Amino acid sequence: MFKLFKDANQRQWIQWVIKFTGWSSFLILISSVVMSFIGYVVSPQLIIANIVFSIAFFITYTFQQHMTVYVIKRVFGAFITLLVIATITFTLLRLLPGGPFDQDKALPPEVIANIEAKYHLDKPVLVQYWHYLSGIAQGDLGDSYKYIGRSVTDIISETLPNTLQLGIYALLICYLFGIPAGVFAASKHNSWADNTIMTIAISGVTLPSFLVAAILILIFSVQLNWLPPALWDGPEYYIMPMLVLGIRPAAIIARLTRASVLEVINSDYIRTARSKGLPERVILFKHVLKNSLIPVLTFSGPLVSGVLTGSFITELIFAVPGMGKHLIQSVTNRDYPLILGLTLLFSAVLVLTNLLVDLLYSFFDPRIKLS
Amino acid sequence: MKLINSLILALLFVVVFSGCTKKQSSEYGLKISETLRVSLDTEPPTLDWMKATDTTSSSIVYNIMEGMVAYNLNDPELSLKPALGLSWSASKDARVWTFKIRKGVQWSDGVELTAQHFIDAWQRLLTPKTASEYAYFMYGIKNAKAFNEGKIKDPKKLGLKINGAGDLIVTLEQPMSFFPYLLSHTSTFPARLDIINKFGDNWTDPKNIVTLGAFKLKIWDHDKAMVLERSPNYYGTPTKTKYVLGYIINEKSTVLNLFDAGKIDAIKDLPAIDLPHLRKKPEYHSHGILGIYYLGYNVKRAPFDNLKVRKAISMAIDRQEITKMLNAGHVPIKGWIPVGMFGFEKKLGVDFNIKTANRLLDEAGFKDRSKFPTIFYGFNTNENHQRIAENVQAQLKRNLNITVEIKNEEWKVYLSTLKSKPPHIFRLGWLADFPDPDNFLNMLTSTSDNNHTGWVNPEFDRQIINAAQTVDKKERKRLYKKAQKIIVETDLPVLPVYSMVEHLLVSKRVKNYPMNPMSNFIWKDVELVK
Repeated sequence: MFKLFKDANQRQWIQWVIKFTGWSSFLILISSVVMSFIGYVVSPQLIIANIVFSIAFFITYTFQQHMTVYVIKRVFGAFITLLVIATITFTLLRLLPGGPFDQDKALPPEVIANIEAKYHLDKPVLVQYWHYLSGIAQGDLGDSYKYIGRSVTDIISETLPNTLQLGIYALLICYLFGIPAGVFAASKHNSWADNTIMTIAISGVTLPSFLVAAILILIFSVQLNWLPPALWDGPEYYIMPMLVLGIRPAAIIARLTRASVLEVINSDYIRTARSKGLPERVILFKHVLKNSLIPVLTFSGPLVSGVLTGSFITELIFAVPGMGKHLIQSVTNRDYPLILGLTLLFSAVLVLTNLLVDLLYSFFDPRIKLS
Repeated sequence: MKLINSLILALLFVVVFSGCTKKQSSEYGLKISETLRVSLDTEPPTLDWMKATDTTSSSIVYNIMEGMVAYNLNDPELSLKPALGLSWSASKDARVWTFKIRKGVQWSDGVELTAQHFIDAWQRLLTPKTASEYAYFMYGIKNAKAFNEGKIKDPKKLGLKINGAGDLIVTLEQPMSFFPYLLSHTSTFPARLDIINKFGDNWTDPKNIVTLGAFKLKIWDHDKAMVLERSPNYYGTPTKTKYVLGYIINEKSTVLNLFDAGKIDAIKDLPAIDLPHLRKKPEYHSHGILGIYYLGYNVKRAPFDNLKVRKAISMAIDRQEITKMLNAGHVPIKGWIPVGMFGFEKKLGVDFNIKTANRLLDEAGFKDRSKFPTIFYGFNTNENHQRIAENVQAQLKRNLNITVEIKNEEWKVYLSTLKSKPPHIFRLGWLADFPDPDNFLNMLTSTSDNNHTGWVNPEFDRQIINAAQTVDKKERKRLYKKAQKIIVETDLPVLPVYSMVEHLLVSKRVKNYPMNPMSNFIWKDVELVK
C-alpha cells in the first residue's frame, strides 16, 4: 500500500483525493449549515455523503502521512475505552439508590415483579450485563424505561439532529468570532482595542449561560420584540440559543488565540518575514495564525464534543428539542438504557474528536509527527 | 483545472440544495384562530393509556379517549355522569355491577364500540406481560390479582362477561361501592386489541392510533409538540376548537416567556416564586384541587413511637404559618380529605396549641428538653419543600425548644430512603386518582405500600373495608369520619398540612378553559374569541 507514495503520479493522485474529499466535506458541511439555518431540513442522504467524504479524507490523509498504524491503534484503544465506560456506568447505575420504577405512589410488589420481568431486571446482574453488551454489539441500545415503546436509538435519532444543529451554529460563533478577535487583539497588543476585546472575553468566560440567556431574552424578546423567546423553528429562533452556547467558548478561544499569537509574533521567522517586506496582513494570517492554532486545537477536542452533545441549560431555556435534557432527566428517572446509551454516545464523540484533533495537529504543524 | 473546480463546487451546491426540504413551522400550518396552544410539561412518556401513569400523558389521553363514566364538573362533590357507559347499577351488596354501553359510539376508524373493547382493555391491563403500573387499579375484579400475579392463566376466569343485551357485567372480589369511580381513570378506558396487536409498540403513532374521544391525535413531533384535531366520529357535541397544539416545554420560565409573547394560551402549575406578580395579571386564575401535602411520622423510631410526642409535635406546628409563608393560596387542613371532596371534615384534627404541646412533651418524659434527641426531617430536593422544612424546624425550636435536622435527597434516593429507613418526619403529597375518600384513606392501611409510617391499626383497616363495602352515602361519610379521626386525632401517624390550590394563566382569547378539582384538562368545550 505504501508503494503508492513512491510513484509521483500516484502521489499527485492521492493529493487530489485529499483535496477533493476535504473540500467537498467542508463545503457540504458549510452549505448544509447555511441551508438548515434558513429553515431547510438537510436530508439524511446528504449527511451520510458528508460522513463518507470526511472518512475518505481522513483515511487518505492518514495514508499519506504514514499514520495508519497510529490511527488503527487509537481506534482499537477507543473501543476498549468505550467498553470500560459502559462497564463502569452499568455498575454505577446498579449501585445508585432508587430504582427506575420507584414513584410517589408506590406500586404493589406483584406489579413491580411484572415490570422487572419485562425489562429483565429480575435476572442476575451479570446476565443483565451480558444482555446489554450483546445488545450493543448488535447496535441495539435497548428500550427506554420511561418513554414506553421508544428505543434509545429512536430517542437519539430524533433529538441528536437538533442538538447537532445548535452545536454547529455555536461552534461557528466560537471560531468565526473567537479566532479573529484573538488575532486582532494580539496585533494591537496593549492598545485600547486589545483591552476592550479582552474585557469582553473575560465577561464571556465568567458570565454563566443562564444569565446570558436571561439578558438576551430580556433585551431582544421582551423589550425590543425582535426575536422569539423560545422554540426551535427558523433563523430568528436559532440566534439567541447559538449565542448563549457559543459566547463562552468563543471568549476562551479569543484569549487562547491572543496568547498564542503573541508568542509566535515575536519569533525569529516572523521577524524574517517582516524584514522581507511582507504586508502585515499576510504575516498575520499566513504565517502567524497557522502556527498559533495548536492551543486552540487542543481546546477544540473537548469543546466540539461538549457543544455537539448538547447543553442542558440552553436547550431547557429555549425549548430546543435536543438531547441535552435527556442527559439529565434520564438520570433523574433512572432510565438505565437511556443513561447508558447517551453516556456511550457522548464518550464516542469525545474519543473521536480527540482523535481528529490529534490528526489535525500534524496538518497545522508538520513538525508534529504521530506514530 | 479552475473550471473543473468551479464545476465541482457548483455541483456540490446543487446536490446540497436538492437534498434539503423546507422545514415545517412550529405552528404546523394550523390557523391560530382555530388552535388552542397549551404547554405540556414533558414529552408524554406514552399514549398507551393502559400503561400511562403520569399527568402529561393522561391529559392527552383524556382528550382523545373517554371512559365508562366521567365526572360531573358542575357538582362540587364530583359525582359521576354517563360517558361511554350510558347507565350502571349494582347488586344489593355492591359486588356485581352492570354497565349498559352507549350505542352508536364509533372509534376514529368507524368501528362501533362494544363491551368487548372494555374486557379487552382490562384483560390487557392485567396481563403480566403488559407490565402495567396501574394493573392494581383493577385488583377489585374477581381473580384479577391472581391473574396479574400469573397464578391464573385463563383470562376467562376474570369476573368479566357480556350479557345477551350487550351489557358489561363485572363481578368483584369484594363489594366495592366506589367501583364506577375507578372507571373514570385513563387506565380503564376501552381498547382495540386488533390495532394493538397489528402495530405493536407503535400503535400509539398518529398514523396507527384509533381513539373515540372528542379529539384525535394528528401530529406527535417527539420532544417538540403534539397536535390534536377535532374528531368527526365523536358521539357527543363536536369540539368548539378545531385544534389543540401542545408544546413540550420543560422549563416554566420559558413557558411564561412564550405566554407573554402571545405564543401560548394557557399555563398551569405556575412557579411559586412568580406568583406574587402573576396574580396581578388579568389572565390569572386559581382553584382548589384534590390533593394534600402532609408530614408523616416514623412511629417505629423513638421518640415517635410515643403517642404523646407525636401529638406534641403535631400541636406545635402552625399550618397557617406555613401556608402564609408559601403565599400560594393553599388551605391549611386538619383532616385527611382535601377541601371540596366528599368526606372533607373541617372540624377534625388537632389544633395548634403550644401550651398543650409542651405539657404533652413533659408528660412523655422530656421535661428536660436537652434529653430530647435530635430529630430528622427528610424531604426531596425542591425549593418549596426546603422552605416548609426550614419553617417546621424553626417552629419546633421556637415552640418546643427541640432540635430538628433537615435533610434533602434527590427524588429517587428519597423514595428509596422512605422504603428502607424513613426519617422521624418526612414530607409527602397525595393527588386524587379518583375523587373518593377511599383513594386517600386506603394508603394508610396496614397493607398499603404507600404507608411509610410503620403505623398499623386493625380498627382503622376495618373501617376502610367497611366504608368501601357500604353503598349508603351518609353511612360511608360517617365511617370515613371515624377513620379520619383515628389518624388525625387518636393515633396521629401523620400530620395533614394543607389542601392544594392550582394556579393558571389563561389568555383572554380563551373562553371556558377547564378548571376543576381533578385538574383534568379536557379541552372540548374551550372556545377561542376572535
